[in-house]
Amino acid sequence: MSPVHRAPAALKLGLALALIMGLAALPAEHALWALAALLPLLLIARLARLQLRSLLVRWAAGAPFLLGVASLALFQPHGLQTSLGLLVRAAICLLALQLLASVTPISELLRTLRRLHVPVLLCDAIGLLSRYSGLLSDEARRMRRARAGRTLRTSRWQVWLLLGNSLGLLFVRTLSRAERVQAAMRSRGGA
Amino acid sequence: MHIPDGFLSARVAFGYAAVSALAVGAACYRLRAQRERGASALLGVSAAFVFAAQLVNFPVAVGTSGHLIGSALAGALLGLPAALLVMTAVIIVQCFVFADGGVFALGANVFNMALVGCVVGYCCYRLLCGAAPSPTRRVASVAFSGWCAAVAGAASCAAQLSLAGVVRLPVVLPAMLGVHGLIGVGEAVVSALVVASILRFRPELLEAGPSVAPSARPGSVAVAAGLGLSLAVAGVLAPLGYSAPDGLSRVLLALGLHPSVPSPLLASLAEYGLSGVVSGVLATLLAGCLGTLFLFGLCWLLALALVPRSPRSSEPARVAVESSG
Repeated sequence: MSPVHRAPAALKLGLALALIMGLAALPAEHALWALAALLPLLLIARLARLQLRSLLVRWAAGAPFLLGVASLALFQPHGLQTSLGLLVRAAICLLALQLLASVTPISELLRTLRRLHVPVLLCDAIGLLSRYSGLLSDEARRMRRARAGRTLRTSRWQVWLLLGNSLGLLFVRTLSRAERVQAAMRSRGGA
Repeated sequence: MHIPDGFLSARVAFGYAAVSALAVGAACYRLRAQRERGASALLGVSAAFVFAAQLVNFPVAVGTSGHLIGSALAGALLGLPAALLVMTAVIIVQCFVFADGGVFALGANVFNMALVGCVVGYCCYRLLCGAAPSPTRRVASVAFSGWCAAVAGAASCAAQLSLAGVVRLPVVLPAMLGVHGLIGVGEAVVSALVVASILRFRPELLEAGPSVAPSARPGSVAVAAGLGLSLAVAGVLAPLGYSAPDGLSRVLLALGLHPSVPSPLLASLAEYGLSGVVSGVLATLLAGCLGTLFLFGLCWLLALALVPRSPRSSEPARVAVESSG
């Protein structure tokens, strides 16, 4: 745990939001000034002992939409300048958010959301989502592997049929799991 | 369709965030007024289901694959307020855990995928489905509402980008609609497959109505339908706006959303000339209507193919459903 990880989530969230809003307010012709934020961001990443490589890989996963809109922006007056500015600004914002996501555990985030008076029902849903999403995707993966083991060679349409079937089955199992979770919560004196 | 940070101006971002926050608050209020917090486990686990379902990749062509978005499906399975909360939770987690979609653009993203997606999807589904639909009709309505939700979300995303002055509407709208018209076909097929299999395993889950629905008051569907219709009209007719800049900019002014000085709407008008724009819009609108009708036919055919003709499903395959802990 680096000092960056231990810093309060509200502070990190506030800093990230301030940076992103500042960049959004930057006029288009000075958009290249956004590059100035690169150095502090990299410094924070270093302080948090993050792998630069994994940060870059995750950053690149968000790039397609960026490139798409930036290339659309080419087709208008002053296209090159606008689209370059957009690209730089959005890339820096993405890096900042990536950094925020990698140094903020979801439990911290939830506590902050509760303090910000986000409705209880939504907070509960987010908490349960973070608890059960891994479980359910594991279950989906298990079902997919079992299906691959049983059906050796299939056409694409059959693959779709089988995947759709397994999603439907997953939903039915989800409902029964929700009942069990509800019963467990109730028996422990929860909601 | 996740808008990252750096694209939206502060005014657009805050405007959409306010609308989304209001809608989410209203959904929470509806659900909490309905039951004593019994719904929370179902909401959370359903959100995890949507999240996991989005990770399942469907192979499309060599090397590419698509996945479910799920807002219309959630609307059909869970009812409108619950689906709205579920999708919002999914989008928030995607933003803060995977940096997918911006934090400043969170309100806009919730608006596109949760609010527009669920409202349009749910209303389409309810309107097409009727009171006591046959399985075929149900599957067809789910498929078509999935397509509508994807396209409406894309239209609203394009509208946001152009309101922020990033890209002009005539450029971004066809691109977004074209891409998401195709993505929506995948969404329609997957939603239909999922609902068809649920109908086979546990038909009572769908026939009993949405799982977390507030008790059906007669007015509520009508109100939701009206809301959906107005959202759809706002999304689909937005391109018409630039043939009538006076009316639209007056509306934008009244909403406090006046685009910054080199207005994309006015600039586009000055370049193309009015007559060309109007005929272009009419042609686009006609093509859109024909495409929608075509899609509807396809959805019906898909449903006919997926739902078994004989009433074999009267004895649902319960055995396969049980899972270990």
